[in-house]
Amino acid sequence: MKKIVLALTLMLCGLTFYAQQVKFEEYDLPNGLHVILHQDNSAPVVATTVMYHVGAKDENPDRTGFAHFFEHLLFEGTENIGRGEWFKIVSNNGGQNNATTSDDRTYYYEVFPSNNLELGLWMESERMLHPIINQIGVDTQNEVVKEEKRLRVDNQPYGKILEVVKKDIFKKHPYRWTTIGSMDHLDAATLDEFLAFNKKYYVPNNAILVVAGNIEVDKTKKMIADYFGSIPQGEKIVKNFPTEDPITQTINSKATDPNIQIPAIITAYRTPSFKTRDARVLDMISTYLSDGKSSVLYKKLVDEKKMALQVLAINLSQEDYSTYIVFGLPMGGTTLDQIVAEIDVEIQKIQTDLISENDYQKLQNKFENQFVNSNASIAGIAGNLATFHMLYGDTNLINTEIEIYRSITREEIRDVAKKYLNANQRLVLEYLPESK
Amino acid sequence: MKTKFFIPLFLLFIGLTVNAQIDRSKQPKPGPAPEIQLGKPQTFKLNNGLKVLVVENHKLPRVNISLTLDNAPYLEGTKAGVSDVFAGMIGNGTTSISKDAYNEEVDFLGASINFSGSGAFANTLSKYFPRVLTLMADGTLNPLLTEEEFQKEKDKMIEGLKTDEKSVTAAARRVEAALAYGKTHPYGEFVSEETVKNITLQDIQTFYQNFFVPENAYLAIVGDVKFEDVKKLVESNFSSWKIAVAPNVSYSIPKDVQYTQINFVDMPNAVQSEIAVENLIKVKLSDPDYFPLLIANNILGGGANARLFLNLREDKGFTYGAYSRVGNDKRYPVRFVASASVRNAVTDSSVVEFIKEIKKIRDEKVTADDLKSAKAEYAGSFVMSLENPQTQARFALNILTENLPQNFYETYLAKINAVTVEDVQRVAKKYFQADHLRIVITGKATEVLPGLQALNIPIFYFDKYANPTENPLTKKTETVNISTDEILEKYFKAIGGREKAVAVKTIYRKGSAVGAAPFPILFDIRSMTPNKEVQTLSAEGMGTLQKVSFNGESGYQEAQGQKKVLEGEELAKQKASRPIFPELFFKAEGYKLSVEGVEKLDAGDAYKVKVTSPDGKDTYRYYGKESGLLLQTEDTMEMQGMSLSQTEELSDYKEVNGVKIPFVSTSTVGPQKIKVVFSEIKINEGVSEADFN
Repeated sequence: MKKIVLALTLMLCGLTFYAQQVKFEEYDLPNGLHVILHQDNSAPVVATTVMYHVGAKDENPDRTGFAHFFEHLLFEGTENIGRGEWFKIVSNNGGQNNATTSDDRTYYYEVFPSNNLELGLWMESERMLHPIINQIGVDTQNEVVKEEKRLRVDNQPYGKILEVVKKDIFKKHPYRWTTIGSMDHLDAATLDEFLAFNKKYYVPNNAILVVAGNIEVDKTKKMIADYFGSIPQGEKIVKNFPTEDPITQTINSKATDPNIQIPAIITAYRTPSFKTRDARVLDMISTYLSDGKSSVLYKKLVDEKKMALQVLAINLSQEDYSTYIVFGLPMGGTTLDQIVAEIDVEIQKIQTDLISENDYQKLQNKFENQFVNSNASIAGIAGNLATFHMLYGDTNLINTEIEIYRSITREEIRDVAKKYLNANQRLVLEYLPESK
Repeated sequence: MKTKFFIPLFLLFIGLTVNAQIDRSKQPKPGPAPEIQLGKPQTFKLNNGLKVLVVENHKLPRVNISLTLDNAPYLEGTKAGVSDVFAGMIGNGTTSISKDAYNEEVDFLGASINFSGSGAFANTLSKYFPRVLTLMADGTLNPLLTEEEFQKEKDKMIEGLKTDEKSVTAAARRVEAALAYGKTHPYGEFVSEETVKNITLQDIQTFYQNFFVPENAYLAIVGDVKFEDVKKLVESNFSSWKIAVAPNVSYSIPKDVQYTQINFVDMPNAVQSEIAVENLIKVKLSDPDYFPLLIANNILGGGANARLFLNLREDKGFTYGAYSRVGNDKRYPVRFVASASVRNAVTDSSVVEFIKEIKKIRDEKVTADDLKSAKAEYAGSFVMSLENPQTQARFALNILTENLPQNFYETYLAKINAVTVEDVQRVAKKYFQADHLRIVITGKATEVLPGLQALNIPIFYFDKYANPTENPLTKKTETVNISTDEILEKYFKAIGGREKAVAVKTIYRKGSAVGAAPFPILFDIRSMTPNKEVQTLSAEGMGTLQKVSFNGESGYQEAQGQKKVLEGEELAKQKASRPIFPELFFKAEGYKLSVEGVEKLDAGDAYKVKVTSPDGKDTYRYYGKESGLLLQTEDTMEMQGMSLSQTEELSDYKEVNGVKIPFVSTSTVGPQKIKVVFSEIKINEGVSEADFN
């Protein structure tokens, strides 16, 4: 049976939980570039990755989609890498590469057989030092990004849910728009604006370089100094995002989608940053509610009462705020209200009673399994190291975050549910088929 | 037990980097090739036929278990979906553990066990491995298949189908496979609400008994385990699995289309067209052509460095990505598919580029650079795949199931490296068809079809379940309750009465068409009952451009000074034509008329009347529902299996000698549209017999 995959990938929130004991070493170059090295010689692989602390939330409200667009532009070439050569160089050397943009950061990576470490460093340093940003690239990528939006959002069933949720949950904070942004804004953007964006954000003091895999540490440090040391430092970046007013009354909203036949019901709550302990408690609550066949919502709504085809609780965590989303697809004659009512009963139970010792132990086992699997590949470890340092402010969380989860009590689960998951603090979105 | 060997990597790259001072204008050279280790799993076999592969890897405290049933594909036919419903039911309890207890325990251990119609996969922390293996074995050998679960899964499946009902991509994937293989082949059939409804619990039990058998079963266990422990555990958990062999039915081998064609599926909600250019190929992993084919496909559409991506995305910006792929299968042909999702406006242009790239890789040798790059990509991904311990198990499983030589993967890089540019061209010609391509396009007809029609590729239409259908742009008709006699009577009444029409012996029409050519084309048309007609097209200062003259018995066609006598079919057509009110002649001359329905034309609702000539040729005439007037005629011509319609819209009726005659005629043939406005029309004057000689 096919599962419905929500287009939540656009948001690319930090779904990194924790890691196995990962040894690493970190330091700063004089120009402010933070470097993290992780040596693991068990496989002939090396990952060279750079994360920039710039995402959709750093955009001008009239230029949404800029950060993601920029990610596309930075594959167009550099002073020493011709236009169209980037992918060729990677392939010609047996590597793989890509990049992703979220509301909080932009991440570029290459994974090569380990004899191409220097090549990876050269490419990323080229991109940081002197990318070529010109009108040809802007024009081409403008079309490509539009196709990306059509592919992932406009042509996909349930593709616009996130857009609607964000708009209703955030009124002031720039999380209110989507990462892919507005095509009109991108059409209006000038080359000068792109150049200014590069100058401001794509600087070593706003970036982290992670090198992980089969490396010799001393040699690697020297190469990093050679390739990145001369890149000039940029101006200090001050971030000052508005604070949202608390939601005190239920927000009722409706949206339509021409690509669907079965409506969906979404409830969404604004919750705190993934850096907080509360956010981690909410992770546990969403696992309790909907992860696995014995989870309370699945068991009750899908299995026993046959009211829903699918039900999901997702804690979409981000740097400044998170969004806690509960999503249901009704089955047969079930109304959307009935689904909300059933979900509320279970949330109220969490708010009132302690979950059972058995369920608590189940959560701990699930989080331990996730922890073990989260650092299973070199590329995965590189991404986690960068994320924990840049967005969480503590690289070692790759090893210690599991301890936070272990220390969360049943009482905290109850209290956090009580604090955030109340009917008057949420959005209720009816997501309906477009009527003809 | 464990055999390890070393293979020198990157025969392709030679060179060392010993530069003290960096020169960033030069691309760094790779260091010495890393040495790679290709371990082999330890194996054993149970008496019932189950083969077990064990890869010990203690890096992380986890274990993955996968059960693969290498059964022959099987057509589910009118019960398509039986394996899916079964997959939803199995793994929910066993004959000795209730469903709730089973699911609760799997979740409690933090593990996952997922079943499909052809196996199962589990992941667990190593400390819970023995229990998870036991649960998985019990689920496999003694599943709880109850009526209640059966109904539930069926209902969910039907509801689930609805969520994809309007999905353009889901429709596209379904039709692409169904058209390539046919709906009566296991690879072409698909699940629908009807087929799900046909399934009974007995079908589920039969499916289980037939296919969940150990003869072709492989159990791979990878991770933090000890071989001796695994052996004991597997023996105690799986030995009671009863010996049986799954059915092995053969199906006919599907064939490619006879000529390149577009297969169009209309999805009115589409904002992008799904394009899949496909043909069938027969290739197994063990075929010598397999490696050259991998390389040829890699160069054509294997990724971000391949031609399709560079052309359709990086150069033209038509799509977010364009790729091609080839599979491999030991039993049946697989598909070569080149595909992209492109915005509506560039659908036709994208088709042109796909065809161009496929032609190019067939007709021209790839460059040495292209070849080198493709080889490097494979070598790199091969090396990097070894990071994952499951790769070892996958390689070993392939050797067993695909009948490969033992050293297949040890010599993998050497085989990649041996491919030449000549090999690439040879396999491109053999496997990528030029004249037998099926181009499946799923998109919005109103926006993309006119462009596709102009490509001169025959188009066939299908609905989203791969059934042949009509051109979606042919306007829909509604059924009506009116006879053809009544329609014709209404028509004569509208133009001034049958007697007035009968009294018309000649018509003279003079007019011009603007826009069809850089200069106005002047029309002079003279007609006389029953079938005499001369049409002269001229232009100011250029004289006669074209003339067709027919005197009732013979005639000629003249263009640019060349004169051609009418003969054969053309002559017969002229003889049978009735330029003045053909409605007067239909009955007497044996034409058959029938009402097709009401259609919405630009000029309003009209009755569509099919006129079948005595020799069986159909044309259509549209009479205004309100006005009664003739609004449009339609002629269909067959060209290379493609139906090309020719329409003439008639408007601006004015009275001449008491009869209403259209003063504007707009003809459409394919993409061409000609609007003729008549400035002068005379009845029973201005035309003489002499005009037709």
